[in-house]
Amino acid sequence: MATIGAAILCFATGYLFVALAIGEFHFQPDLMFRICLSLGLGEGLFSIVYFLARCFGFMALWRIDFAIFALLLAAYLFSRARRRNVVLSHPIRQFSARGLVTIAFAVALFAALYSATLRFLAHPYGSGWDSFAIWNLHARFLYRGNAHWRDGFTALISWSHPDYPLLLPAAIAHFWTLLGHETPVVPALLGLVFTFAAAGLLVSALDILLGRTSALLGGMALLATPFFIELGTWQYADVPLSFFFLATLVLLHMHRAQFAAGAVDGRLSNGLLALAGITAGLAAWTKNEGVLFLCALLLSRLFVRPDSRPLPSTKSSPRSPGLTPFLLTLLPTFCILLFFKRFIAPAGDLFSTPVSMLHKLEDASRYWAVLKWFGKELFRFGQWLLIPIPLLMLGLFIMLKGKIPREASPAIRASVVALGLTLAGYFFIYLITPYDIYWHLRFSLNRLLLQLWPSAIFLYFLRIGSEPLDFRSNHA
Amino acid sequence: MTSSTSVLWVFIVGCLLSSARLIFDTPRVAHEAQDTALRSGQRFSDLRDALPKAGVVGYLGESGDFALGHYYLTQYALAPLVVDHSSEHAIVIGNFPRSQPAAFPDNLKLVKDFGNGVLLFANKDAN
Repeated sequence: MATIGAAILCFATGYLFVALAIGEFHFQPDLMFRICLSLGLGEGLFSIVYFLARCFGFMALWRIDFAIFALLLAAYLFSRARRRNVVLSHPIRQFSARGLVTIAFAVALFAALYSATLRFLAHPYGSGWDSFAIWNLHARFLYRGNAHWRDGFTALISWSHPDYPLLLPAAIAHFWTLLGHETPVVPALLGLVFTFAAAGLLVSALDILLGRTSALLGGMALLATPFFIELGTWQYADVPLSFFFLATLVLLHMHRAQFAAGAVDGRLSNGLLALAGITAGLAAWTKNEGVLFLCALLLSRLFVRPDSRPLPSTKSSPRSPGLTPFLLTLLPTFCILLFFKRFIAPAGDLFSTPVSMLHKLEDASRYWAVLKWFGKELFRFGQWLLIPIPLLMLGLFIMLKGKIPREASPAIRASVVALGLTLAGYFFIYLITPYDIYWHLRFSLNRLLLQLWPSAIFLYFLRIGSEPLDFRSNHA
Repeated sequence: MTSSTSVLWVFIVGCLLSSARLIFDTPRVAHEAQDTALRSGQRFSDLRDALPKAGVVGYLGESGDFALGHYYLTQYALAPLVVDHSSEHAIVIGNFPRSQPAAFPDNLKLVKDFGNGVLLFANKDAN
């Protein structure tokens, strides 16, 4: 009973946040979009609440959670009474998918669910070392430590990466506290939720922005990535991180699409940006790579202005709010992360002395080694059978080239630059790594690429657009 | 069928091949009872009651390929105690799941053998 209550409370908190930001649901893909976003957001918020409760030493979590829920509900009811519900409009009309594409997607979804369930049952404590040596260990320090919870974040056990942010451990500890006992089911279920919420978010976002065919093909590309499904059951933080990367980009593109359509009030526009700020902050609170992504995202907005394309100017068209709502909602999570890094966590292990790093940066053989691994892993990180999906996507792009707009929109360009800069950041970290470079590449590069994979699929289908994949026009 | 439609079907079949991999490979993911038992930390349940609730304890373990994994699992089982990989602490945990050495360092006095290769030592030299 407590398990169900805790899960409902977590989801409802996330859902109310989403509803407060962007109004109520109105049609099918929007409902799925909100549900998937709420699942990830709820877990992120649970994590933040737990961490703050630990810091302030007030652990009456049921009471805190109900108070937050009641406050959000009151705010939601109040705002609902005061305003018209906003319809998330389709900027581009939907196309109906052919039956066989739907069946193929259903097969991919079934295969993913089947595999994830079997893995969940076979390895209730997760797989690989990081699950018990990092994420669940930190969750135990938070949950079991009581007044001594900070003991776990010590350089004495630097191998456990005590500087890693706490989204996953604190969310797990939150559920354990609500349940009153530790159970391996919690981290295992959180992993599954993030895996399928990421897939659902991708499908629903593409459905809203482009149409059903793009959505099903995009979802298929992700669900048919064996390593994505596998890693989702390992109880690592890479899949949750990929969820928040994707959510941030999706929300920024929805903001742009709604803004470009000029059919909505500024409130929805601000709401989407505000949610993007929260998800970007939660990415930084999930793993250190999230901080890199955040910097890349902000930098990309300097290189490419997503709003640079002139919009139809009408009296009712909203003025772009810039990134202010994004930065405002990002700030609280970022301050919490800074507090954790400054006052609780010891220094990280990736940055050695400037002289040593410079020495490594001068070594051309390291560039070649990293480049070779990047080239190799790009087509095999997903553990696909026979034909790597990135290769299939490349082939599809080349074949459809004549129908694809010659130039990508500034918004897509900005997001691609953000992912590119993140990838460049990963490249740089390998160059200066204090560990054996081949060992480091071997045990982490596939996971780093997977973090970006759902976002890459999303941007790929946005770039192609809806028309080249419209079966009706292809068969007309 | 246009060429772009054909390539779309190649894309779909390519994806389904990898989905097939998920279906056919996953049943081979065996339920490793030993791995689950190790991660559950059952071996350390009696030891846990004999240790302080917080603080830092030392660690003495096997050498070899699995040594590091066994140390990490010990820390995982005994959190929120911090298990330092050093015997320079007043309390030292011995973890020898595979083979127990014939002799231990002179400064360590065996306090209790909990079975399954789990031992508790007191360090005579530590303050």
